[in-house]
Amino acid sequence: MAPQTFDAFQAISDPSRRQILKLLSKERLTINALAENFDMSRPAVSKHIKILEYAGFISIEDIGRERYCTLKQDGFNNLQEWIDFFDGFWKSKMNKLEMLLNSKSGGKK
Amino acid sequence: MTKSIEQKLFFNHKPEAVWEYLTNAELMAQWLMPNDFQPVLWHDFQFTTKAYPDLDFDGHVYCKVLEIVPYKKLVYSWKSGPGEGRISVDSIVTWTLVEKDNGTELQLVHSGFKEIANLKLYAAMTDGWMKNIQKIAVLLNDATHGAANV
Repeated sequence: MAPQTFDAFQAISDPSRRQILKLLSKERLTINALAENFDMSRPAVSKHIKILEYAGFISIEDIGRERYCTLKQDGFNNLQEWIDFFDGFWKSKMNKLEMLLNSKSGGKK
Repeated sequence: MTKSIEQKLFFNHKPEAVWEYLTNAELMAQWLMPNDFQPVLWHDFQFTTKAYPDLDFDGHVYCKVLEIVPYKKLVYSWKSGPGEGRISVDSIVTWTLVEKDNGTELQLVHSGFKEIANLKLYAAMTDGWMKNIQKIAVLLNDATHGAANV
């Protein structure tokens, strides 16, 4: 799954992709409309859009024969995932601490 | 959206005994992670463990002691990232000990998560782009509050 190796930082490291986000910050646009802003080929623009989509910055919706790109929040915010991760992390660590302390001889006197 | 983690444990031990496990590097390593902690205000230390590249984690947690009240309270910053000085998690860990009749109640709060990806975005941007992204920043702001930070 190569596209998933693009994290948020890599996704915005490219000037063309920043330009795409900039254009989309004003309004949602079709891939064709986006492509008009660039000198590169439409497939090349599509590739950048895919990377931005995988990194969670934009979502793509098919309406009729057009593909619309909209700015999305996920690429800017994956904190909830971290919080969920740490919740489990601390649970397991606390269990370990509990085991250690409870096995310790001579509790409270 | 949850912005912090809170967990509580009760121990049939005096706060002094529990405190040892929170502040003695060797004892901490037994249940948490290997580290070079010292119970000294503003001391910089690290926890070291296995790296998880897909989680943007280089195997180090970069910490600083922010508050230390013996047997009662310990606060440290908790930062991690994919390496090369990049930080993707910036947060605060707070331990509170309350002495009870028959032991100690230990509370952990992991909070103050900052929207780092957002900050990095800012850093990566040119000035013109900066202005445009501010619209997005407004959208994101409600998710970034509640961080009492260094």
